[in-house]
Formats: sequence, C-alpha cells, structure tokens
Amino acid sequence: MSVFRRAWAIVWKDLLIEARTKQSFNAMVFFAALVLFIFSFALGPDTELLRRVSGGLLWVGIAFTGILSLSRTYQNEETSGGLEGLRAYPGDVRAIYLGKLMGNIVLLLLVEAVLIPAAGILFQADLWPHALDLAVVSILGTIGFSLVGTFYAALTVNLRAREVMLPLLLFPALVPVLLGAVNATTLVLEGDPMSEAAVWLRVLASFDIIFFVICIWIFPIALEE
Amino acid sequence: MCLVGPNGAGKTTLLKLVATLLRPSGGDARLLGHSLRDEPDEVRKRTGLLTVRGFLYDDLTAAENLHFTMRMADLRPDRDTIGRVLERIGLAEVADNRMRTFSTGMRKRLALGQLLVRPIEVALLDEPYAGLDSQGMRLVDEVVGEFKASGTTVLLASHQDGEAVRLAERTGILRKGHLEILPESETLSRHLSVGGPAGAPEVE
Amino acid sequence: MEPKTGVERILGAAALVTMLVGSAVGLFLVPQDAAQGNVQRLMYVHVPAAWLAFMAFFIVFVMSVLYLIQRDVRWDRVAAASAEIGVVFTALTLLLGMMWGKPTWGVWWTWDPRLTTTAILLAIYVGYLALRSFADDEEKRARWASIVGIIGFANVPIVYMSVTWWRTLHQPPSSPRSVAPEILWTLMLNLAAFTLVYAYLMVRRVRLARLEGELEKRMAYNA
Repeated sequence: MSVFRRAWAIVWKDLLIEARTKQSFNAMVFFAALVLFIFSFALGPDTELLRRVSGGLLWVGIAFTGILSLSRTYQNEETSGGLEGLRAYPGDVRAIYLGKLMGNIVLLLLVEAVLIPAAGILFQADLWPHALDLAVVSILGTIGFSLVGTFYAALTVNLRAREVMLPLLLFPALVPVLLGAVNATTLVLEGDPMSEAAVWLRVLASFDIIFFVICIWIFPIALEE
Repeated sequence: MCLVGPNGAGKTTLLKLVATLLRPSGGDARLLGHSLRDEPDEVRKRTGLLTVRGFLYDDLTAAENLHFTMRMADLRPDRDTIGRVLERIGLAEVADNRMRTFSTGMRKRLALGQLLVRPIEVALLDEPYAGLDSQGMRLVDEVVGEFKASGTTVLLASHQDGEAVRLAERTGILRKGHLEILPESETLSRHLSVGGPAGAPEVE
Repeated sequence: MEPKTGVERILGAAALVTMLVGSAVGLFLVPQDAAQGNVQRLMYVHVPAAWLAFMAFFIVFVMSVLYLIQRDVRWDRVAAASAEIGVVFTALTLLLGMMWGKPTWGVWWTWDPRLTTTAILLAIYVGYLALRSFADDEEKRARWASIVGIIGFANVPIVYMSVTWWRTLHQPPSSPRSVAPEILWTLMLNLAAFTLVYAYLMVRRVRLARLEGELEKRMAYNA
C-alpha cells in the first residue's frame, strides 16, 4: 500500500542520514551511559541494592535517552523546509507518522542493544541467561514509548518551549509503559518464580495496540495547519 | 501566470494555499476541478511546489534527494529519469556529492529538479530567481517555457524581473493580501515604476 | 464582570446551600468513625472531590471529541473550563488525601492506586493547560487541546489498571466496602454539593471564555 511504501521511504532517508552523520546515535549512547553512571554513584556501592533496582534504573535511562532523540525526530526536517516539505507530497500524511515511528523504534532499539549490556556490567546483574525475555520486554516497551513519543513530538514540533512541553505531556502518558517495562524487567532478572512477568507483558502489548490505533487515527489532525 | 507584489503581500501564502499546505480559513477554491478544502490530496498529486528554501536534505546526495522525491510521490525511482533531470538542471557532475557542499544556486537548481521528476499539471514557483546567477535564471526561464509548451500551468511569484515574468500570459498583483488580476491585454511593464536597481523593478 | 445571569444565581445559591448543609452534616451530625476518629470526616470532601476530578476530565474528553467532529470552538471552551476546574478538584483531592493519610497511616503519601492515578491525572491536566497557553490561534489551540484531551483520557483507565496491578500483586487494596447508611447519605449529599459547585463554576467560566473569545476576535481585527 502506498502509505507503507512512503513510510518506508522516510525510514530509509532518516536511517541513511543517521548512518552518515551518526548525530543521534552517538549522543544517545553517551547520554544513556552517563545517566546510568550517575545512578550508580548516587546509590552507592551497595551492589545488592543496585541489582534489585537495575530494572527501574535501566528504563529511566532509556526514557530520558528516548526523549532526547524524540525531539530531534522532526528536527532534521528543519533545514529542509520543516514538516511542510513532507506534507507537500501527495498521499496519506500518516506515512510520515509511520516512517518516523519506525525510525525511532529502530534507533532506540540499537541504543538499547548497547545500553542493556552496559547496565548489566554497571549494576552487576547477570543478564545473559535472560537475554531473550529481556529482548521481548525491550521491544514491547520501546514500541510503546515511540508510539506516544513520535505523536507528541509532532504536536510540539513548532512550540518555543518544546523541550519542556514534550516531557510534560509524554511522561504521564507513558506511566503504563514504564510500569510494565520496569516490572517485567525486574521480574525477569529475579528469575520470575511465579510467572508474573506475563501480566506486565500483556499490559505493554495492550498499550501498544490501543495507542497504535489511536495515534495513527488522529495523526492527520495533529499536523493540520 | 505571474504573481507580483512587494514583500509581505502574501505571495508565498497564496502559493502555499494552492499547494494545500495551508487550510483556508474561509471559503474555498478549485484547482483542476478539485476542491482545495475537501480534496487536498487530489490537488497535491497534480501540483509541484518550489519554495525559497526548498525541500532538500543536506546529508543526502543530489541523486538521493531526487530519489527520495520520487519515492514520496509514490513513483518507482528510475535511474534514467533522475539522470536526465540532473543533466537538464546542470548538476550531472555533482550527482553523487552531498548537498551540504552545494552553493545556493545549485540548491535552487536541485529544487527545480524535484519538480521535473514528477508528472505535474501545475507548477507553483515561489521566487524561483532568488539566489541564481544569470545562467541559473536562464534555466528557470527555459524550464518555465518547457512547462508552458507541455501544457503545464505555471504560477510564478516573484518580486524580481525575469524573462518569464515578462512572458507571462496573465499577471496578478498582490498587495497586502488583495489580489488584482490584470486583464489579458495588459502587461506588467505598464505597472512598473522606473527606478530601483537594474533588474529589480519596484512594484507599488 | 457583568452581573450574574438568572441561571448562575440559582446554581450559585443551590451550591452554597448544599455545601453548607453537607459540611455541617459531615462535620457535626454524622457519628465519628470508630477506627479512624474525626479525621475520617475528610472522606466527605475527599471522595466527592475525587469524583468531580474524574468527571471533569470525562467532560474534557467528551468535549474534545465533539470539537474534532464538529469543529465548533464552543465545545473547546467548555473543555478548557472543565480542565481548569478539574485541576483544582484534582489538587484538592490529593491535598485532602495527604491530610487524611498522615494521621491515619503515618505517611504523607502512599502508592495507593487511586491516589497515584489522581496524581498522574493532575500531570495530564497540567500538560493540557500548558499546551493551550502556547497557541495564539483559537482554532489551533482547540485542535491541540482536543488531541491531548482524548489521548490523556484514554490513558487514565490503562494507568489505573496498571497501578492497581502494581500494588495488588504485592498487597491487597485498602478501603473496606461495607458502609453504614448515614455515612452513605452524607457522602451523597456532599457529592451533590460538589457537583453543584462544579456546575456553577462551569457556567461562569464558559461565559467568561465566550467573552474572552470575542475579545480575541476583536483584537485580531484591529491588528
């Protein structure tokens, strides 16, 4: 379908630019590492404590890093005429949302691929045996984060106080994602004796589906001039 | 048709309205039988917009920019077409250079190229002469001529003089948001005042 | 401001009367709670405030949907008014909740699902109002606000369920279900009182919004 083809063109363009400039990826990785580092300092040398809260710390790190890249989602359109340029093309504007969404998900997942092992080292949590489960949580959580994030980034793209408004709008909306991801991660790392993680995965999945439908549906209205 | 008017008259706004980038706050207009308000997508399929800044990505090459334009217009990017257009706009040698290295004039040409890779029925040109040297300006005139010959309608907004401005079949003067379309018999030269630097006639 | 209209007078009077009666009953007439003592009387304001906070947000949601369908800015004005009043009720709920919590459980804050959801509700409201302040154009403001209003509201049930799961997987929910009839009646009375206060404030606020809208339009013409 035309929408997907055009969305794919946007993903191609964004990832190509990113691969060439590596602007976002590098900044995100450094920033995330810094955040995790600071957490380690703040919580002190109590390794037992660190291991227990590693799930939460990891996702706070991912959330802050994600916000960083979100506000830049539409920023590299700035020099090229802004979102106007993309809107001038024929076809459903939802292609823009889909394209930016997929781009954000891929970028964030790549950062997480570096970040999660780093967290494992910093917080002395043994991650390898749970790698697959962690990957599932990571994917579901990242999708949820990017869904609402990409949407609100479009809404706030032209605001003067964008850096403040985006987190302000985004964080209350992301509470289910954060709760789900943090709890699922923590349970997975603890070995999940009672298989509780499945409940949280279901929360994440439902959130993802519900907001995918809502955001895609409403997106054209968010872009109207 | 040529649109002239001083800065701030609303030429860009008018072009953007026709390109359906702006929603009319009241009333409606029809382009090629389609309503701007209710069928913007149909309008967009048939129009191409050339803006002052252009919709180009610094970190892509010239060829890649055109490639992207074709994909966004839902066309299969075809190397021959891209090559042909690059030849036409004189950028064939720098096809694989990133746009970051381009001068203003080269960017303007590439933006013009974006209109040439798609089949459009209406070309909306906003200040096409800005930033171009005499060779570039001649290119614009030639392209406008080619559009005319192939039946593509051209709506050109400029506050600069150029061959195309003088060759326009109809002229509209835009002042503070009010548009006056000159009757077919009148040409622009009657409304230009004498004075101002050569090549940049003042319109009152 | 112009003198109150007839509707406003009646609503205002009714609100005042019921609030006075409700407070009197809640404070003096209803017997003290056996377990928690007089502090428990805070429930008569805390619970209605919470109800109204959520109802106000529901109204924001409905108005947002109506606006997007009909594009009539009047719906948006009602939404904004409801959001403003809703913020007040939400903050009140949290404050009263904390006042109730300290003597009862010894802590200023608990991660009780309802309290937590209310706190998040406050954040969503504040975001909604902040976003509105950034749009000068009435139509753009209404559009943005409606989107945030809809998404925000859609999130509330999910947030509530998530937080409830979060707490109940590890501890059962707190408040008991069996209530003595006079307590129930007092609660209903205060709920009615709060609803009337909401209605009164809404009517006045919407009227003010309409005047503001007309002023905006006139200023735009003169510019």
